[in-house]
Amino acid sequence: MRKSAARTGLAALTLSLSMSMSTLAFAADTVKIGFIGSFASDAGRSTLRGAEIAIEELNAAGGVLGGKTIQLVKADTGEDVTEGIKAYEYLAETEKVEFIVSGDVDDVSLGWLPRMVEYKIPTLDTWTSSITIIDKLVEDYDSYRMYFMNVASDEALATLYVDFGKDVLAGKMGWKKTVILQEDTAFGGAINGLVTGLLAPEAGIEVIDTIVYDPSTVDFSPIFSRAVDSGADFIYIISSVNSQVVSSQYVKQQVPLAMTGVNVAALGQEYWEDTGGSGGGISTLSPVPSVGFSLDPVSQAFADKYVAKYGSERPKYPHFNGFNAYFGVKQAFAAAEEAGGFGLDAWVPAMENQDLILEKDGQMWMRYGFWKPGEVEERTGRTYPHNLRFDITPPYDDGAPSMVVVQWYEDGSSKVVYPPKYANGEFQVPSWVKQ
Amino acid sequence: MPRLLLAWAAFAVIMLLLPQVVSPGTLRIIIFANFLAIFAMSWDFISGKTGYISFGHPFLIGIGAYTSAILSYRFGVPVSLSIPLAVLATMIGGTLFFLPALRIKGTYFALVTLAFMELMYQLVQVIRPDLTGGTRGISGIKTILSGAVPNFYLSFGLMFAIALALWLLSRTRIGTALDAISMNEEAVSGSGLNTTRLKLFAFMVSALVAGLGGAFYAHYLGSIAPRALFDINFVFTIIVSALIGGSSTVIGPIIGAYFMTFLLEYLRPVLPGSERYLVYGLIALVLYVYQPKGIMELLRKLGVRAGGGRTGRAGNV
Repeated sequence: MRKSAARTGLAALTLSLSMSMSTLAFAADTVKIGFIGSFASDAGRSTLRGAEIAIEELNAAGGVLGGKTIQLVKADTGEDVTEGIKAYEYLAETEKVEFIVSGDVDDVSLGWLPRMVEYKIPTLDTWTSSITIIDKLVEDYDSYRMYFMNVASDEALATLYVDFGKDVLAGKMGWKKTVILQEDTAFGGAINGLVTGLLAPEAGIEVIDTIVYDPSTVDFSPIFSRAVDSGADFIYIISSVNSQVVSSQYVKQQVPLAMTGVNVAALGQEYWEDTGGSGGGISTLSPVPSVGFSLDPVSQAFADKYVAKYGSERPKYPHFNGFNAYFGVKQAFAAAEEAGGFGLDAWVPAMENQDLILEKDGQMWMRYGFWKPGEVEERTGRTYPHNLRFDITPPYDDGAPSMVVVQWYEDGSSKVVYPPKYANGEFQVPSWVKQ
Repeated sequence: MPRLLLAWAAFAVIMLLLPQVVSPGTLRIIIFANFLAIFAMSWDFISGKTGYISFGHPFLIGIGAYTSAILSYRFGVPVSLSIPLAVLATMIGGTLFFLPALRIKGTYFALVTLAFMELMYQLVQVIRPDLTGGTRGISGIKTILSGAVPNFYLSFGLMFAIALALWLLSRTRIGTALDAISMNEEAVSGSGLNTTRLKLFAFMVSALVAGLGGAFYAHYLGSIAPRALFDINFVFTIIVSALIGGSSTVIGPIIGAYFMTFLLEYLRPVLPGSERYLVYGLIALVLYVYQPKGIMELLRKLGVRAGGGRTGRAGNV
């Protein structure tokens, strides 16, 4: 009895030792990176899949940092701020990842930001566009230097959108008054602030009413009635949650006012399906590359690969942050190769120097580079350290445009209508709206 | 009493030794559990003790968190001063919270407190967003300590001190009178006790704990956002922690908070997506249906069985 117990003990010890050894060997041959984001949203899944495709390609090409395999650990935030903090802690403390790619909304990123500063883990944000984070790099570069954002910050996004307001909404359409339909969310409040504080005064458009609605609203009839009665020339919609509901009701009720603005559902190819084919006549601003955006050959190759791999499940086509994650993860590893790893002193300058110019028809079309500390953007006269190197001045030959305006037509197709360099369609109001 | 004090001391010793045996990742989970325990104890002191069910507790927690965050982040007030001021502000908020309890109770009181939370959610975004950070909140709030181990000791020390104080308070005549209010307020009033003053006292204590917890929570997270605080899920997590653990006790909300936090985090590697919330909810539901008096009651029954069937009482712990 005693002998058999000793034998069992020895066997268990041998097994656990060999398991520990193999774990150590596995750890030595892998680089662990983390994904933090919302698994339930199309945009979050786009980021995750973009990162996964980049990792597959890097691993298939012989690995990174001397032949190591990249291992991705995923942590869901559920778009919840506190869960985001816990998810970041999990990746840092339990999984001990070396780099994190994020696909989540603004307040979630702002929530885990102090953890990033504490753990000093290089982090790339592909979705959050909060200028507040870039401002932190301006104020305290040393503490926040490990942070990179490869989507244009909202201020840059708004600046180009003001141009759209001046050139198209006021200039071409002659609209002078708007009514804002804003969902009651953090995102809605932030965009409303930009529209009322920037777009309206700059473009000479008066905001005559603001209607704040609950994101779970199912009947928009009274809201649309109030908007029509306001005497506005058009509706400015700000919607990120259940945006297909407001769109489809707008179409089905044939609301006699044009509607443009920010409609997050309309940023994905599933929009038409989600609205049951009732999503035409609506336009929305979108980060690039958007639906309807003509792609350069390199981005097109990624999109094709994405569709081949995930084309049967939502989102069937990558959102803008899917592209950002794909190129961003590759750039992060290119920087790590140069720096010999993710140590901040060497990796941060190497990442700052990453510059991927994507050309189409012989001209700069997209650019994945970053504003360097102290580098001033000419039009706004300020710095944007570690933000995507955007360009908000025609002819857009120094960077990617900060945004485009996408028009969904009544036949279910979508095109980019602004800025002119990227436009492949015309801005239109729905057929039932009298101009 | 000495046996129970000994149990508290043993609990403290075990917890203080914990950083020697568990990983920093686990300590991070315990830190969240400690804060949830503070909020659940605060809720239980109003709702478990007096029977006035609050659905708006984040209103109080939020006042504490926002006051200290704004004072330290916007005005450079040292944390040693901003936290006491935050607690004071929360107690003033607690007085507001108390006013409806003078006239209404039951479902109506619960709904009014829910309205308090919603009101706070809207106000934070609209009134002086330059101070509150509006919808995106404030990020980069000064943290008191850095790292898992120091924050574990801080959060545990705070939670333990609050728990011990509430336990001692619950053993006084006031504690007994508050328990009696939940059973029959009219009878307590008929016996010559001033129930209004007793309830005000309970609300003030609850607000003090919520304010203290909220302020420390903000300085632990380093960020604060209206969507994270004034959220119905946050309310439910607090209430469910108290109920699952065992309402009207001090140790019950602590056990419930630990159970709920660990359950959710331990499901993460197995179910990384939103399915874990479903499993988490189901387990909590089954547990609550099986034993409405909470884990404390389950432990008591187990204790009775282990003790050879001697009837026992969980005791006022």
